[in-house]
Amino acid sequence: MPDILEQLESLRPHESRVAMATLVGARGGSPRPLGAKLFVGEGGRLVGSVSMGGCVDARVVEHGERLLRANRSERVTVSVDDAEALELGLTCGAEFDLLIEPISLRESDPAVRAYESAVRISRAGRTAFVATTLQSGVTQRTVFPDVYDGPQLGMFVERFAPADTLVLVGASDVAAALARLARGLGLRVIVVDGRERYATRDRFASADEVLVGMPSELVRPFLVAGAFVVLTAHEYKYELPILREALRAPVRFVGMLAGRKRADAVRALLREEGLSDEEVGRLHAPIGLDIGGREPEEIALSIAAQLVAVREGKTIARRPQ
Amino acid sequence: MTLPYGAIVLEHFRRPRNQRALERPTVTREGYNALCGDRVRIELEVDGATIRAAAFTANACAICTASASMLTERIRGGDIEQAARITDDDVIAGLEADLPAGRLQCAILPVRTLRDALAELRPKT
Repeated sequence: MPDILEQLESLRPHESRVAMATLVGARGGSPRPLGAKLFVGEGGRLVGSVSMGGCVDARVVEHGERLLRANRSERVTVSVDDAEALELGLTCGAEFDLLIEPISLRESDPAVRAYESAVRISRAGRTAFVATTLQSGVTQRTVFPDVYDGPQLGMFVERFAPADTLVLVGASDVAAALARLARGLGLRVIVVDGRERYATRDRFASADEVLVGMPSELVRPFLVAGAFVVLTAHEYKYELPILREALRAPVRFVGMLAGRKRADAVRALLREEGLSDEEVGRLHAPIGLDIGGREPEEIALSIAAQLVAVREGKTIARRPQ
Repeated sequence: MTLPYGAIVLEHFRRPRNQRALERPTVTREGYNALCGDRVRIELEVDGATIRAAAFTANACAICTASASMLTERIRGGDIEQAARITDDDVIAGLEADLPAGRLQCAILPVRTLRDALAELRPKT
């Protein structure tokens, strides 16, 4: 999921104005979180979504085009009230509130400036809040770093937290495929390897950082709360030194690409070195949800699915060991 | 985990000697095998002609780790010139293992890294 600035950058070469629709309320269930955005370009391009892309998004596009022509912002409600779909039970019957505003991509726009500021703060490792007035007409935004201490009533507050970090150890083909998927999932991707022929910018164009050196030392600064550590090296020379530290660190997830037998052998070595059962028990190996694929892209997909499940607190996140 | 390379390799891999970072190394040198990814860093604390302390850090296979462990044991407290005379064959023989040709590079990476480190200690001409 690209952040808002990446979405705007993808539109900028093609569109001079866009309508930005922000999901600010929902009743009856919403597939997308509040704050989800759909951009409707003056030239017809669409980026993002506020629902699953069905009739709700289609209606938001119509509203966006109308408001672009009128050059004003408006708060609109879209109901899923298609009579036939309701009759057949093929709709959720939900209601969505959206703030739709025209945005200029050619001139300095106050909304874009506010989001740029918030994203800059979050990319620097801090949390930012963008508070938007919800009245139709001209909307106003204020950026709050670290904490939001503004009014609650009549405001829509979006939180921009720093992205969680995924540390990929071992610049393998699986890692390359996973790096691509993980960026799309909103993770900050760090690739680590001891081999400069593998860990290259060419192979990891979507990664935020590609680091070559002593892997266990390069990984150390990222062993912090919320981080995901995925070992795809399939090399005990990297796995053991990193696991010794990662399994004792407050990271959210430690997983290793390995078959069951090799994973058990690594666990036995770690126990022999003094790690507790609880610490060793934190290791996800074999890694990934059991979807049966064998190609790098398929394995990466199974790992990415597991990372999402961990992030969402789903019990499927842990495979039987 | 069992290794086909003998008791000495296994012992030094499981209980490596001098695997740590020195607080105030006189010289530090890192070597790596670009293909297999073995990485080893040798650190020496030198007092005159004597190697007072020798330590290593490794993200490396069992053979390379064992080799670095044995090597640092051997040179610790000894003379710089003696350390410089240690050959690749000395290290390979010390491991007392029947290493396949493809793994000899793993065994000699630490001693070559040591030589680079010692070269830094010599006065530049």
